[in-house]
Amino acid sequence: MTALVSHLKLLEAESIHIFREAAAQFRAPVLMYSIGKDSTVLLHLARKAFWPAKPPFPLLHIDTTWKFRDMIAFRDRTAKELGLDLIVHTNHEGLARGINPFDNSPSVYTDIMKTQALRQALDAGGFDAAFGGARRDEEASRAKERVFSFRAAGHRWEPRRQRPEMWTLLNGRLGKGETVRVFPLSNWTEGDVWRYLALEKLDVVPLYLAAMRPVVQRDGQLIMVDDDRMRLEPGEKPEMRKIRFRTLGCWPLTAAVESDASDIDAVVSEVLSAKYSERAGRLIDHDQAGAMEMKKREGYF
Amino acid sequence: MHMAALKEEVAIAPAPETGAMVRLLTCGSVDDGKSTLIGRLLWDATAIAEDQRAAVRQASQNRLINGEKIDFSLLLDGLQAEREQGITIDIAWRYFETAHRRFVIIDAPGHEQYTRNMATGASHADVAILLIDARHGAKRQTRRHAAICNLVGIKKVVLAVNKMDLIDWSEQRFRAIEAEFRVMAAGFGFTQVAAIPVAALPGDNVARPSSAMPWYGGPTLLDYLEAVDANVEPRDAPFRMPVQLVLRHADFRGYAGTVASGRIKPGDRIVDARSGLGASVRRIATMDGDRAFATKGDAVALELDTDLDISRGAVLSEMARRPINADVIEARLVWLAETPFDPEMGYLLRTATDLTPVTSMSVSALVDFETLASMPAHACTVNDIADCRILLGRATPLDLFSDLPGTGNFVLVSAVDGATVAGGVITWAQSGASTMGDNVFVLNRELLSRGLCSDLGDSPADLAEFHRRAQEAAILLRSVGIPVLIEI
Repeated sequence: MTALVSHLKLLEAESIHIFREAAAQFRAPVLMYSIGKDSTVLLHLARKAFWPAKPPFPLLHIDTTWKFRDMIAFRDRTAKELGLDLIVHTNHEGLARGINPFDNSPSVYTDIMKTQALRQALDAGGFDAAFGGARRDEEASRAKERVFSFRAAGHRWEPRRQRPEMWTLLNGRLGKGETVRVFPLSNWTEGDVWRYLALEKLDVVPLYLAAMRPVVQRDGQLIMVDDDRMRLEPGEKPEMRKIRFRTLGCWPLTAAVESDASDIDAVVSEVLSAKYSERAGRLIDHDQAGAMEMKKREGYF
Repeated sequence: MHMAALKEEVAIAPAPETGAMVRLLTCGSVDDGKSTLIGRLLWDATAIAEDQRAAVRQASQNRLINGEKIDFSLLLDGLQAEREQGITIDIAWRYFETAHRRFVIIDAPGHEQYTRNMATGASHADVAILLIDARHGAKRQTRRHAAICNLVGIKKVVLAVNKMDLIDWSEQRFRAIEAEFRVMAAGFGFTQVAAIPVAALPGDNVARPSSAMPWYGGPTLLDYLEAVDANVEPRDAPFRMPVQLVLRHADFRGYAGTVASGRIKPGDRIVDARSGLGASVRRIATMDGDRAFATKGDAVALELDTDLDISRGAVLSEMARRPINADVIEARLVWLAETPFDPEMGYLLRTATDLTPVTSMSVSALVDFETLASMPAHACTVNDIADCRILLGRATPLDLFSDLPGTGNFVLVSAVDGATVAGGVITWAQSGASTMGDNVFVLNRELLSRGLCSDLGDSPADLAEFHRRAQEAAILLRSVGIPVLIEI
């Protein structure tokens, strides 16, 4: 394990630069706040970029109604403590149709409750730019993502129509119908995010830290039972294990890992020596080859 | 790890002299074994997750590309379209770190039809790895890659002569390739050129020293990369900070920006390059507290003792060595858009934080990759490197790229659809073009409101339409040879 932290200040400065460029160039930005560790870092950097003023944009959370309860509590506490505007949007049409992660396939569920919901919220708010916490190290199709990622009308991502980005110059001039996703954490890795959380002493959702929690083992993955909506298969019985999450999404679709890392320093050590990549615990990404790329084309961030 | 230890390291160890992070450009084609070389470097030198290693082993077996061997290039292939084509068309970003350093690998395509992608990737790099197939030596492509690296300001290149195993680890051949390259590179502004013989597939001299080439006493590629000095800025570079935005909160008024070059501390006198107005720095403010100084790359907010009434686009500078407040520039650029340069189109010049309308623009020459000479020309299109002259609608503060890269570069933006059509470096700049611009036709708001746009109101849709008509009118006027400046 390495205690490399000297590059974190370089990454921080780069991210602040991106936040300021976007705020100066776009008319109505919004920060896509998904409550996870990346969003925590993203929000912290946004505060630094505009300090002593508040970030000049609201937070937007897409609530599928299947987020862990700890996440929702953390979200509301954060927005209140920092005095920030928080927009919470749910695809009520999808909810009314009974879309849920048990009866629908992960790809259908994600499309309706996350991708479509996000499009609805961005359109309703008239936002021309949305900050996201995506990192290029997360997944192969993201390795080629731009800092200013342009979306054609309908929020479509067309890899071949992305703008070249040279030096630190960011061109945010929009064409007709275009909007932008802005990724200030583009050059961060999972390890950087954790080291930065430790360095800056930031709070994270407790689910990232190991504790005894009720889980069932399903298809080799550990699924936490967060409320009584969990449908148990015949023979399945929740048992208490010491687990934590490397990534947080909707609870029935996010697998936990067994871990003893109960504070952030221990998590940093664990992440830097990790044997498995971060998104191995994200069930929706493994649906089909090139799954993430497909989702992005449809407007997933 | 303990928090105390983390904190202490940050507090007592400022970024080491060689830089905490190195951005590497890798140039070469699939044929040279580029993906294999980077894949091998990642495989040997970094903590690749077990599930990724397993996936690569599995896919290698499915493809049977190297028989029983692992296809390291599978670690790099990105988009689905590219996987199907088996070529790399876009820039991919990879990250790895060793105990000493963080590395960013910028993997750019090598073929000539992707010159623009390579130039884009190269603009972010501190060091370039130029890959050469030992069987073929330096090709036209190598020359082009070196020229692009030079254009965007890379100062250090390392020549990785690959597939040494296929030429019987011949020292003679390696030395010949190295010598040929040094002659070719002599005309460029590189400050350091290294050459390393490697064999990516078996891993010789990538992360582990080769026993097959006892005649080579230099570093492995990894050793070289861990030691290379990524900083290129001279010690006494003049201070520049392009203003991104003005932060206001209660009594606070701070100019927010990233230091583009040099160093600043409270008490220093600075000047707004455009107005010539001076002030002293009162505070360097950040959320983590005031700073004693700020240097290149720091994102800060400067509070001044006098209100300069400046906004985004201004460049704060040291008093003595100021930017040129230029309205005519000469530049070398790489054309990025599929649509060719059109002298009648509306373009905007995007410098660090300013966006300036282009009054007129002309191409004077194209760079010939074979000879690296400039050949007279008046047109340019995608993947061309061209010399051009640009007249600006108003003066903007900038520097020559060779002096200060951070305030001497730009991208050219289409005024119609916002596309980034070219990226360039400023080779000459001067103020006073307005004296030769007596015949520039100014298309202003009043003129347009009176006639062409008299039916439009104040709604966002009408304003957008107003801008569209202004651009269209400018295009028509330029097409009959009238230089136009839009001021609305």
